[in-house]
Order: sequence, then structure tokens, then C-alpha cells
Amino acid sequence: MRNYFSSKRLIGLIAILFLYPLHLHAQELSPRDIMEKLDDNRRATSNSALSRMQLSTCKFGVRDGKITCAERPRVKSLESVGKGYGQELRDTRSVAILLEPAAERGIGMLSYNYDDGSRDNETWLYLSALGRVKRIANGSSDDETEPGSLFGSEFTTEDQDTGKLDEYQINLLEEAVEAGRDVWKIEMIPNEERARKSRYSRTVHYIDKERFVELKVEMYDQYDKEIKRMLGARVEQMNGIWIARSTTIMNLVTNRLSNMAFLEMHTGIDVPDEFLTQRTLTDAAFRETELDKLRAQIDR
Amino acid sequence: MTRAILLASLAAGVLTTITCPVLAQDDVLVLDDDVTFDAEFGLDEDLFGDAFEDGSSALEKSWLDGFTIRISQQLSGQINSHGVELAPGFSLPREAELETSRLSAIVRYQYAFTPGWLVQASGWARAYWNGDYEYRAEGDSESTEFRVNDFFVQHSIEEHSFKLGRQTVVWGETVGNSVLDVINNSEFRDFSIIDIEDARLSQWMLVWDYFGEGSNFSSFINLYPEFNPAPVRGSPFFFEPPFNLIDYDRGSSLLFEAGTQWRKSFEGSDIAFMAAYLYENQLRYEDPLSGTGDAVAETNDFLLLGFSANRAIGKLLVNLDLAYSHDVLANSFSFPGTSSLANPVNLKKDQIGTSLGFEYAISNYQNVSLGIQAQKLLDEDEGLQPGQVLINDGVFGSWLLRYSNTLMNSDLVISSTLQGDLNANSLLALLGADYSINDNWAVSGQIVSISANDESPLLFFAEDVRLSATVTYSF
Repeated sequence: MRNYFSSKRLIGLIAILFLYPLHLHAQELSPRDIMEKLDDNRRATSNSALSRMQLSTCKFGVRDGKITCAERPRVKSLESVGKGYGQELRDTRSVAILLEPAAERGIGMLSYNYDDGSRDNETWLYLSALGRVKRIANGSSDDETEPGSLFGSEFTTEDQDTGKLDEYQINLLEEAVEAGRDVWKIEMIPNEERARKSRYSRTVHYIDKERFVELKVEMYDQYDKEIKRMLGARVEQMNGIWIARSTTIMNLVTNRLSNMAFLEMHTGIDVPDEFLTQRTLTDAAFRETELDKLRAQIDR
Repeated sequence: MTRAILLASLAAGVLTTITCPVLAQDDVLVLDDDVTFDAEFGLDEDLFGDAFEDGSSALEKSWLDGFTIRISQQLSGQINSHGVELAPGFSLPREAELETSRLSAIVRYQYAFTPGWLVQASGWARAYWNGDYEYRAEGDSESTEFRVNDFFVQHSIEEHSFKLGRQTVVWGETVGNSVLDVINNSEFRDFSIIDIEDARLSQWMLVWDYFGEGSNFSSFINLYPEFNPAPVRGSPFFFEPPFNLIDYDRGSSLLFEAGTQWRKSFEGSDIAFMAAYLYENQLRYEDPLSGTGDAVAETNDFLLLGFSANRAIGKLLVNLDLAYSHDVLANSFSFPGTSSLANPVNLKKDQIGTSLGFEYAISNYQNVSLGIQAQKLLDEDEGLQPGQVLINDGVFGSWLLRYSNTLMNSDLVISSTLQGDLNANSLLALLGADYSINDNWAVSGQIVSISANDESPLLFFAEDVRLSATVTYSF
């Protein structure tokens, strides 16, 4: 009797049996599903999370065929706390406090990001020189200008936006390989309403098929010229979430780049609602006390 | 002036020496702005790798981390020799001269020493060198001055927060010239400071904040109201008065100020209502009965009712402040930056005022803002002596236009300010540049030009041009 189940064949069959459903599952994901999973992943990094980040910005140039800083980068260190709200926790509230440089220590930014495209995100800033909280107009934008920036970096509120997927046409362009990883190449085209608020006429996202992390994003203006590029690197699992610990965004118009390095990220933190209010910006005693409580949760 | 030029040259030399090695970036091809980006370029993998090698953690904190210290040397002077015609045939000579040459140390400290408790303090110390007007006022000798500005302890528990000590309370939404920004006194000692944010002085207060579910209350009581200091002898705002201008003699009288504000945020907007019993920050001076010695400083209390709101519309932020003041003195000069020139008369009036501000973010790097402040005395003719005319008749106030542009990777900030009164009697134009050499060193330069006609108290400074340079070390 022929041995139909030789060890090699057996392994192959098992592999087919186990991998086929996964492959099928991946194929069944629509471009919209992929973007939703990506969004879920992004939100997970800011939902009930305490993070410490370093934000570096510089004018870039090329050396030995590689993009590098053409000047000394400006480095800011910040601590951020975020939490999900609303239906399926799709809205995000977060507060970021600058730790360094010394001259900017204590400057805080409170942001409310809404999933619903009809609601504009909100931002408040506390500047000790003014002695009060100041609302920042994030606003819509045209092709000549940038929406609200994160502490003067190339990261804008729009680049960090989650949700609002209903306002985009989402197309799978192709499956490709980026940085040695299998990726979906997905194009997002804003509808008329969103286009009025966006600087981009379309964006192309290279999404790691296994980890649902963006390895690269290309942003195009209304003339279909690439004006910004985002690169994700150091993809690692932090607290069970895949994350690009080093994200660089390059402004191809001004030739400036900003890098956000996630130095620490702790999720599953019990963040009280009161912490994500303007009080955290103005009431330093409250802020420091609550931050100590949040940090204490990490040690447990 | 020769000394000023020498010192400015020295500062420029230091700047060149410090910046040259920093700016030198050999081997890097700087891309043109219109370059087509080549997809073949990868990112230098070591570019930001150092960030992950830093083992420090936010958990490791020391009480020393709370210090921020800024040391700066400033030189400034009036550089346009000219004359001001105060009356036909009488011209006041305005010679070019060095006005300030001073070394300052500004220290700020904040430390949460135990859960729910925090101490914050800030203050400055200055040394006045040869050439500074304070040096001349001290009989040509070097002198020093110290001042504590903020110094308070804060305790926050549940929905409440209490702050006791020297602090400021800011109610106005409009940056620069809000009609509601009248709680703290201020000192515009010379033209190196023309922004109210830099001139505001802290006062001893107890502030109680209540953070409710949907809205907040903030209340204060001040049992030792302070007033705008008289111009410092020798400063540009000092004119030899017929009598000594002294601080208010409190005697046994208990002065106090108190107020409360209710604030609520809506999507895209914040609003606030406020009410306060205050003393005007500017004292009114009367001649001494004896005819010699010190002038008699008089205070004036008044009631303030206010409303403020902001609204974000796209990239435009609109701010509105409304104020109704009951029993303020007529002729209180309101031009920002020069309150020490005020000469209020002993005539109480009611006054309405508004400040309207527009802030527009042209881009990440460029901002422009416009603030208009307008006030009007109610029943302005009532109580006037026959033939008496008020300086502030009709609608009076000021406007402020600011523009800033951040360049060179945020190392260079260029800003300009135009400030004038609504009757177009005066204009103050400022152009400034701040350059950060690195995280510690910075240099800044400023030029201020003043135009004024004989209707304006700024007439004395008409055609003045002031130049200043400052080198700062922060850590």
C-alpha cells in the first residue's frame, strides 16, 4: 500500500489546512476592513495608554544615498496620556506634556479627536507665558498650508487622525513587498467634504499584512505630486500591540523631517476622565498627582 | 553709544563663533525645494537610533528637575538723535544714547513635593552696568535689583484646587490688549517690554478653582491689592514730576479685591462670565496740601462685569471680550505698554469696552493676529466742569497686529508688531528676531520705532528708534 501520508506530505497538508483559512481570511478582508483594523491598532496605542516619546525635527539632505539631517535636529521629549471614547471607543482624547527642552517644559496640549467626519477635532494649549489655556484652531486647510502641527513638528493633527473612514474611497492598489515585508498597498481618496478639510488629494498606505502597521505612507497634493512621506521602522510588539516605534514623516516641499520615537508605551492604564480635561493643563498639582498614579500602575 | 556698538559687535562675534561649528554639516547634499523626490532614497537607519539607547525614564525624577534658569545680557538704546517739538518754538532734544546694559537671571521653579501639593516660584535678579539708566539713577554706580514674581503653594483635592501666594489671574481671551486683563497690575519700565504678558506682576492672592462636570468656577480674593509702580527714575517713562510719586499709603484701611469666573466649553467654543470688585491698577496722584514733598496717591475701586468667548472656524480663531466697568475714573490712559503715562481725573464713570481678536494660522510656521480694543465712557459729559474736556471722549482704544514666522527648523523666529490707538495719533512698530543657537544659547534683536502726534501722550517719544540685543543662556 502506498504511503500517501509521508511525513513531508503530512506537514504540507497541515500547513495547507492551517494556512489556507488565514490566507482566505486575509483575502476576504476588504480594503475598508484593512483600514479599520489599522485604525483599531492605532487607537489601541493611545487607548488607556501612557507613553513617553521623543520628537526630533530637522532639515534633511542626502548622504551616501541615504536621507539624513542636514542640520542639528531640534529634539523635544514629551509624555502623553490617551483614552478612547464614544461608540466603540473611536473618539480619542489625549494630553501631551513637554518634558524637554527646559525652556518649553510644562507646555501642554489637550486634543479631542472625533471619528465622525462632520466634527472638527479640538485642541487646547497651555502656555505659562500667557497664563491661561488657549484654544487652537486646527481648521481645514488648502494645498498651500498645513493644519495644526504637533509642537512645531512635521506631524500634523491630520497625519495622526483616526476614523472618518466613511469620508474616503478606499482602494486596494496591489499587494507588494516593502522593507522585506508583505504589504497591502491601499489608496485613500477623500470625498468632496473631506477634501475641503484635507491637504491631501489621496494617500497611499503600505500596510504590513501580518502586523497591521503602516510601513510607509505617501501623501499627494491636488496635482498628484507627492508632498509628504511617512516611514515606519522598528516595528515591535509593545504591550501586545504591534507598533512602529520610530515613525518619520518627511515634508517633501520644505525638505524637513520629523521623527517620533516611542521610548515607552504602556497600555491598559486606568485613565480617569477628569485627567483628559483642561484642568490637566492648568492645575499642575492635579496633573503631577494623577501622572504619579498612572505611572504607579505600570509598576504593578 | 560707542560702548553699545562695541558690545553689539562682541555679541555678534560670539554668535558667529558659536554657530559656525554647529551649522557646518559636511558631506550632506542639501536638496533644492523643487527637487523631485527619488523613491530610491532610504532613511539613514542610525539617524534617530540614539533615542532608544537613552536609559532614562520619566519615572526617575529629582526635585532639581523643577528648575529652569535663564541668564541674559541685554543692551538697548535710542539711536535716532532728533528733537521733539512740544510747542511752537520749543523743541525737546532727544539724543541717541544707551538706555539699558544689564545682566539678568530669571529663575523658575515648580515641584510637586507630595501628592496633591505643589510649589511654584519665579523671580529675577538684575545687575545694572555702566550705561544703564538705573546705573545713572544710582549716581553712576553699579547696582542690583531682585524681585520675586510668582510664589505660591497649590493644593488640589478632588474637584477643588487652592493656590495661595503671589500669582496672576488672566481672564481675557484676546491676546495682547484685552479689556478684561485688569486684575493684576503691570510694569512697563521701558520699551524693551511692550507685551502685557511680559509686564504683568503677580499679587498675593488666594485662588479657588472648582472643576465641575461640565463647567468650572474660578474665584480669587486679594487682601493686598498692589498698583502699577511709578516710573523708575532715569527710565524713558520718567519725567521729573513736581512732587515725588510714592506708593499708596494704606494706613489702617483694609483693601481687598475679589472676583469669580464661570467657564464652560462647547464643541468649537469656550465661553466665560465673570464679575469682580477691583481697584484700578493705576493710582491717581494729587498735589500735597502743603505744596511740597510727596504727591498724595489715591485709589479707586470699581465693579467689573465681563463675558468672554472664543470660536474656532477652520484655521481662524475669533476671540471676544466684553466688559462693563462701574465707577472707573475718567482719563485712565489705556494704550498698552504705557500705562504709567496715565493721568486719571477724579471723576467716576461707567464704561463699556470690548476686545475682538482674530488669530489665523497661515501655516505651521506663520501666524498673524489682530486685536482691537474699544472702550466708551457712558454719560461722559455728566459731572464735567464748565470747559472741561476729557482726553478719552467718544470711543477710544487701541489695535494690535502681530505676525510671526518660524524659520530654519524653528531656530529663527521673526516677528513684527504694529500697535496704535484708534484715533490714529500714535503708532509703535516693532521688528524682532530670535535665534536659538542650540538648546541653551539664544540671541535676539529688536528694533522699535515710534510715531506720535501732539494729541498723543507718546509725543515725547515721537521719532524715537530703539535698538536692542540680548544674549541668553537657558538651562
